Order: sequence, then structure tokens, then C-alpha cells
Amino acid sequence: MLELRTWREKAGFIVILAVIAFFLFFPVYWALSSAFKANAELYLSDPTFVPHRPYLGHFINAITQGPLILQLGNSLVTSTASALLNAVLAALAGYSFAKFDYPVKRPLMLLILSAQMFPFGVLLISIYPMLQSVGLLDTRIGLTVSYIVFALPVSTYMMYSYFKQVPNELIEAAKVDGASNMKIFRRIVMPISLPAFITVALYAFMWSWNDLLYSMTLITSDDKRTVGPGLLLRYINENNADWGGAMAASFIVAAPVILVFSVLQKQFIGGVTSGAVK
Amino acid sequence: MDMATTRQLGSTSPARRKPGYLRRSDRRFAYLILAPAMIAFLVMVAWPFLDAMSMALYQYTIYDTEPIFIGFENFRTILTDPYVLGSWVTTAIFVAGTTLLTMFLGLSWALLMYQDFRGRAVFRTMTLLPWILPSTVSAFIWAWMLNGRYGIVNMLLMDIGAVNAPIQFLSNDVGAMMAVILTRTWISIPLFMSFFLAGLQSMDFQQIEAARIDGAGNLKIVRRLILPHLKPVFLVTGALGMIGNLQQFDIIFALTGGGPVRATSVLSIEVYKQAFQNWNLGMASAIGVLWVFTLMPIVIFYLRSLFRED
Repeated sequence: MLELRTWREKAGFIVILAVIAFFLFFPVYWALSSAFKANAELYLSDPTFVPHRPYLGHFINAITQGPLILQLGNSLVTSTASALLNAVLAALAGYSFAKFDYPVKRPLMLLILSAQMFPFGVLLISIYPMLQSVGLLDTRIGLTVSYIVFALPVSTYMMYSYFKQVPNELIEAAKVDGASNMKIFRRIVMPISLPAFITVALYAFMWSWNDLLYSMTLITSDDKRTVGPGLLLRYINENNADWGGAMAASFIVAAPVILVFSVLQKQFIGGVTSGAVK
Repeated sequence: MDMATTRQLGSTSPARRKPGYLRRSDRRFAYLILAPAMIAFLVMVAWPFLDAMSMALYQYTIYDTEPIFIGFENFRTILTDPYVLGSWVTTAIFVAGTTLLTMFLGLSWALLMYQDFRGRAVFRTMTLLPWILPSTVSAFIWAWMLNGRYGIVNMLLMDIGAVNAPIQFLSNDVGAMMAVILTRTWISIPLFMSFFLAGLQSMDFQQIEAARIDGAGNLKIVRRLILPHLKPVFLVTGALGMIGNLQQFDIIFALTGGGPVRATSVLSIEVYKQAFQNWNLGMASAIGVLWVFTLMPIVIFYLRSLFRED
């Protein structure tokens, strides 16, 4: 695309690359390196870039003291359940929109997509008393169901645009053979749409795993808290900032998402961008 | 397909139907599989939205046993409340700053990552990292980087002699706003880069070659060919970026809590505090209405561009 012939062009390219790369990656490196420093080294006025004596204490404290493991479990349960719930609902609705025609289809699609206009914080004003009235406030089920708010609209659209590309001939052929609609969906359409389904599930998983607002508001007991508010409550307060511990706990919390995405990232980015650009 | 043809198809003779799709049993199936998502949407999104909007017409604080209808009183209050208007301006600064900075850096990074060089694959893979980190984690990382006593940013600034004393980023107004813009930008660059990169894939190489032969330099090619080609991507990322930034809560809350005092108290923070700290639900909803009306034009613009291509 660009041609770098002269040394000035090459130097310019490398400088810009270095500056943005530094901005993008150095914070992560710095946090990781801080997590491995004992407090004596962490709070030096002349900081060390590589920990002189790698120290695991912050990680050990984060795991053995306090409720981090419990909160990881809570996050895992609520995020996985809401990801599956969301992906199933989105796949069914997306298929209905993509392969069938009925009078109210377009208005309904528009209605679901226009949900981006509804700020999550505003919805919470009503979701809170609603969950309270059915006894689901401060429960993991209530939180899981509330997470529909984040991802369902976009997920539905992502599944819709994927199903659009499934050739009609495939469905017609099965129909001629006498297969029912449900059978066609389960045996023919879903198997070839698994990549999209996984992408959508991951998309929803990430929303829930990273959430702070809903979890902070809808969960009030310590033993049900998820990682977002858990970290915040434990490590950030006025009189006591344990930065080494905060960094170590951060990486423990981030590890599952980093792991999943390092395996599936190409597919994921493709899914998210095509869902929104087209 | 527009509404007219849809309606026509619904009552048309068998010969004009698309084969196999419109039999009554098919339509019943279509409604059936749409129903779960629709019900979930109505219960968890549409109804709460309408309910919260109508709450704006009531006085409902922690002292009221039930909502008291007061008409537009809440709106009169917020439209004369300098704090609410200030919060709107704060939101505008945050959204404009973050969206523009992210677009600029996201595009630059996409151009760099489109170039062939050794190690590009590693860079591209790592780029995703800021985006997938939980928001509390990102806030922690930047709070530590910008720490007023031990933060590495201050130490680097002092090393190169840019400042004499450490800057207390998070406890002064401008510093706190810079911190939230910077952190949010940092998180959004990967997604923006992916959009721009997807747009670059469809660039016409012959056109660029031809321009080169005519003696066009890199800057000219970017300005005359690449930027115009990316125009649709600019519109989509711009709209999505603004919608996302207008909705942003987590990063700001974790990093500054809306402070110092109210310096980074955007609408999302304002609504949260009114609703769940002051328990003044009527007022929170009224601010929510203001928030919705700010979002609405952008969402409508985005949906129209999304549906035009169908």
C-alpha cells in the first residue's frame, strides 16, 4: 500500500509504528511487570523495567486471601449461561429474519436493532425494581437474564447476516426430501453455522465477563459478586491501594478471556466487523 | 425488500411465491422461533425502557412510598440545573475527544498493519489485547500508569524534563478528563483498526499503482485514494464509536468515579448516581430522557445506513 523507498520514509514509518505500539502494548507490559515486583521494588522512585527479583507473592495473596476464586466462579457461571442463552435466542431469531417472509418482519428487526438507543443505565432503573418484585434481585439468575440487554440486538443481527449467506437451495433440497423446518434448522443450517454461533456466544460472553455496572447494582451480597465489582471493591479505596495485588488479580481475571481469544481471534474479528459493516 | 413488496408477497398466488418459504406452516415456524428472542427483548429491554421513560414524569425519591405524578416538573428542574447541563457538556467533550482520537489512531494503526513487514502477524495478534481486557482491569492498569506518586508516566515525563513535579492526573479536572479519554481510546483502537483493515482489504491496487506511476507520493495516495475509499468505514466507525462512548460507564466509574468533584461526570454516571446512590428515580429517568435524545439521532443515522444496503 505505502511504499518506503528513501531512508526518511522508512524512519518515519518505524517511528510512527513505535509510538503507537508503545501506547498500545507498554501499559500491559508495565502492569504485568509490576505484578511480579515485591512492594520494595514496586514503589521505587527510579523504577526497574524488568523485575530484578521476580516475586509471586501478589498472585498468591490474590488467590489465597479474599474471595477472588469465588468471584471467578460466579463470573464464569453467569457469563457462560448468558452467552449460551443469548446465542440460542439470537440464532433462532436471526434464522427467522433471514429465511422467512412475513408482514411485520422489518419493523420487528428495526425495533430490536434500535435498542442501541436505550442506554443500559436507563434500563437498569426499571430492571432493578422488576427483578426485586419477582425475587431475582441479588441472584445469579437475575444477573444472567439481565445480560440479555447487552448483546441480544447485535447478536441477532450478526446471526441474521450470517444466515443470509446460507444458500436457499440447500434448504429447498431438504424440504423436497420432506424434512420439517425444525429438522432443517437443527441438522443442516446449525452445523454449517457453528462458527457464527460461537462468535456470537463469545461476543455475549465478553460483555458479561467485562461488565461492571449491572453486576455492581443487581448483586449486593459478597458471595455472589462477580469479578468486575469484586476487583474494584477490594483494591481501589482511598486509604489503601495495593497496586501489586491489583495488577496480579487483574491478570488472573483477564486470563480466561485472553486464552479464549488467542485461539479464536481471527474468526471473532471477522464476525464482529462483518456484522456491523454490511 | 420494502414494505409494499412484503405485503404483496404475503397474499400472493402460489405461482408468484418464492418456492417453499411462505406456506402457512412455514410462517408459523418463523413466528415460533422468533418468539423467545422477542419475549426476552420485550421484557428485558422494551418494557424497562418505556417504564423508565415514563418514570420521568413522576416524583419518586426514597421518601416517597409510591411515584407521584408531577408532569414535566423534573424536566424543568434538569433544564435549569447547571450540574445536568454541565454533565451534558462533559459527555460531549468525552465522546468527541475519544471518538476522534480513536479514529485517528485506529486508521493510522490499520495503515501500518496493512503494510508487509516482518513481525506484522505478532503485532496484529497483540493489538486485540486492550479490547478484550475487562474494563475494571483496563482502568486499574491506567490508574497505576498515571498514579500521582509512583506512576510510570510521571516518571518518564520527569526524566525527559517535561515536568518538574509529578502531575496528579486523577485529582485535577483536565488530567482526569485526559485519563478517561486516553483509557477509553486505548480500549477502542483494536476494534476500530479491525474495521479500517477490513475496509482496506477491498482497496483497488491497480489504481494505486497507476497513481504511483503518475508520481504520487504516500501522503497523496492516502489523501486522494485511501481516505475516499474508506468513507463508508468512517461513517460506521464514527457512529458506532459515538454510540459506544455515549453509553460508556465502566471505565469512567472505575477510574475517577465521575470526579474529581464532577469533572468526568458524564450522563451515564449522573443517571447511576441519581438512581442508585440518591435513589431519586424520577430525576434519574428525566436525565435518562435527555441521554436518549442525545443518542437517538446517531442511532437513527446508523440504522439507516445499515438497512440501505439490504
